[in-house]
Amino acid sequence: MRELDFLGATMLQLLGGVPLTVGLTAGSVAVGAVLALLLALLRANSRPGAALVSAYVFVFRGTPLLLQIFFIYYGAGQFAFVRASVLWPFLREPWCCALLALALNDAAYASEILRGGFAAVPKGAVEAGRAVGMTRLLLLRRVVLPLAIRQALPAYGNELIAMVKSTSLASLVTLMEVTGIAYAIISETYRAIEVFLCAGAIYLVLNFALTRAVAVLEAKLGPAGT
Amino acid sequence: MNTSNPFVLLGFGPNGWGASLVAGAAMTLAVSIAAYLVGLVFGGLAAWARIAGPRPARRLVGLYTTVFRGIPELLVIYLVYFGGSEALTSLGHLFGRSGFIGLDGFLAGTLAVGLIAGAYQTEALRGGFLAIPRGEIEAARAVGMGRLLMLRRVIAPRALRFALPGMGNVWQQVLKESALISVTGLSELMRAVNVASDSTRLPFDFGIAGFALYLVLTSFSGGVFRNAERSLARHERAR
Amino acid sequence: MSEAVIEVRAVRKRFGAHEVLRGVSLTAHQGEVVAIIGASGSGKSTLLRCIPLLEAPDEGEIVIGGERLDPANRHQVERVRATLGFVFQSFNLWPHRTVLGNVIEAPVHVQRRPRGECVAEAEALLAKVGLADKRDAWPNELSGGQQQRAAIARALAMRPRALLFDEPTSALDPELVGEVLRVIRALAEEGRTMLIVTHEMSFAADVSSRAIFLDDGVIAEEGPPGQIFRDPATERCRAFVRRHLERHLGR
Repeated sequence: MRELDFLGATMLQLLGGVPLTVGLTAGSVAVGAVLALLLALLRANSRPGAALVSAYVFVFRGTPLLLQIFFIYYGAGQFAFVRASVLWPFLREPWCCALLALALNDAAYASEILRGGFAAVPKGAVEAGRAVGMTRLLLLRRVVLPLAIRQALPAYGNELIAMVKSTSLASLVTLMEVTGIAYAIISETYRAIEVFLCAGAIYLVLNFALTRAVAVLEAKLGPAGT
Repeated sequence: MNTSNPFVLLGFGPNGWGASLVAGAAMTLAVSIAAYLVGLVFGGLAAWARIAGPRPARRLVGLYTTVFRGIPELLVIYLVYFGGSEALTSLGHLFGRSGFIGLDGFLAGTLAVGLIAGAYQTEALRGGFLAIPRGEIEAARAVGMGRLLMLRRVIAPRALRFALPGMGNVWQQVLKESALISVTGLSELMRAVNVASDSTRLPFDFGIAGFALYLVLTSFSGGVFRNAERSLARHERAR
Repeated sequence: MSEAVIEVRAVRKRFGAHEVLRGVSLTAHQGEVVAIIGASGSGKSTLLRCIPLLEAPDEGEIVIGGERLDPANRHQVERVRATLGFVFQSFNLWPHRTVLGNVIEAPVHVQRRPRGECVAEAEALLAKVGLADKRDAWPNELSGGQQQRAAIARALAMRPRALLFDEPTSALDPELVGEVLRVIRALAEEGRTMLIVTHEMSFAADVSSRAIFLDDGVIAEEGPPGQIFRDPATERCRAFVRRHLERHLGR
């Protein structure tokens, strides 16, 4: 039964990394969502804004997340003025850098998803809102956004799972989330398969919970637009 | 004393890192192509099993795509790299080969990223198959085509045409995931950027160079896929 | 003469090189039911959409309840739109709200009336259009005829001073047209001010108090329904009405 003992002990150690994995995901997704909304609105409302946003999306979707994380974590510190600035205590922290990189990356993907959602809002629904005298803000809040979000939700659910997976890269800037702990155990014990099974199970459970949550939200928001 | 002139730094002279970055980019391209091909094999087999296989095979494919699309890529790379001997030995048994098989970064990276790519490729190929209008298959049956002929002349080309956008996405993903193979010490682009950054203490400059090189790779190869899509769809009228 | 609710004064509207409305004027008084007929492309839908400024006229004026609309004054336009009920050809229900949610949306959020009061009134309106049992259904669960009746309830919930119908039965399967026309007829009999763009000639002849024949962006003929539908003065109107009545009888 030594095998089971090892699996149990490994699992226990790995579970210690779950709060950090979940925290990084929640934090970066929250910041990313706000950024994505701003990007999507900027893109829709001005021509130079649209060019800026597409350049942003091009860079963040066209390069590896690992490079983005390293660039923020190591790259910023190259300059004396950054090291002297008030932001330095934050930019020195791997937690802040990883969160920032993840959020910026998520924003690029999520803004594209949201753009697809906006494009799918039925014209008639917007027209009906105008016809009853809705202001532009009310129309956005009560008609356009709910429909765009509802439409984008399935794709956004996939993006959320991608973000859970992406937090594993934080381990490469010293953060001991689930994958970081897994690496430490593997390099100590050389039992990659067992550790993989335990860590993999944790991620699959997290993904399953997220998928369920999105499904519940979809049901709550009603059917997708036609 | 290191120079900080970017033209010298990124150049190909004795103090320049240009050659090493370009070599890294070439390695990234090589390992990505290898991984993509591995993924194509896995994905092709899995999609076939998913569409036409018996129930246990379909279950197995479901497990494969769920696991390798749901678990962090880095973890898969650790599994293959560190558990390489274990995994490869059992895989060797599967192909009738016994004994220990050594593993280097390129091989481990190719296999790991290929396994992941295969899981996504399965979905892309299956989606392509499902998108074929039923009538086209019926028409093939009506003119008396056999199963194999139909697969070769109708199903494969049509499925490819519908699967190609998804297959292009898988390629982009592979190209970016290949950066994670740097943890095995393989000198691909990400590693070349890291080495240059550490040696010169100019992580910002080399980070920018890394962004530029990756963007060249992703946008150039994206163009290749777009051309392929266009040429496969060339007979179709715009609707 | 009673008070003018809607006045359209010399409105012109062009889309690109094509001038859809070439100087149209019309007035709808309190309690009048005005039928607007004409061939496809004659500009009748555009004319109706110009009234709540869903399309901005290039020239001319829209006056609602004596108030001249200024397209640049968004606040005024929104306030006035809330006093008109617009029923679309394609229903345009909000797919993310239930039937009840659609009906109370604008009263609660645009007119800011108390929710409870709006719900009670919405339920009465749904009963009136025969959808009391569908209050919690989603729009995509309804037939076209039911969707359009829900859309009419939604328009009525604003307590509008006039109702504008833009081909309300054109998107419906033939067997669903009747249920919608019955609801509109009942509203006409209540003495509501209504403008109806429609291809249903016999229905228009029946419910309208005045009819307008629009031809190539201008009003070619206008008068009591007895004249327009039975004894038109112009040859084009005569041909148009005959064609549509025949099609209706042939069905």
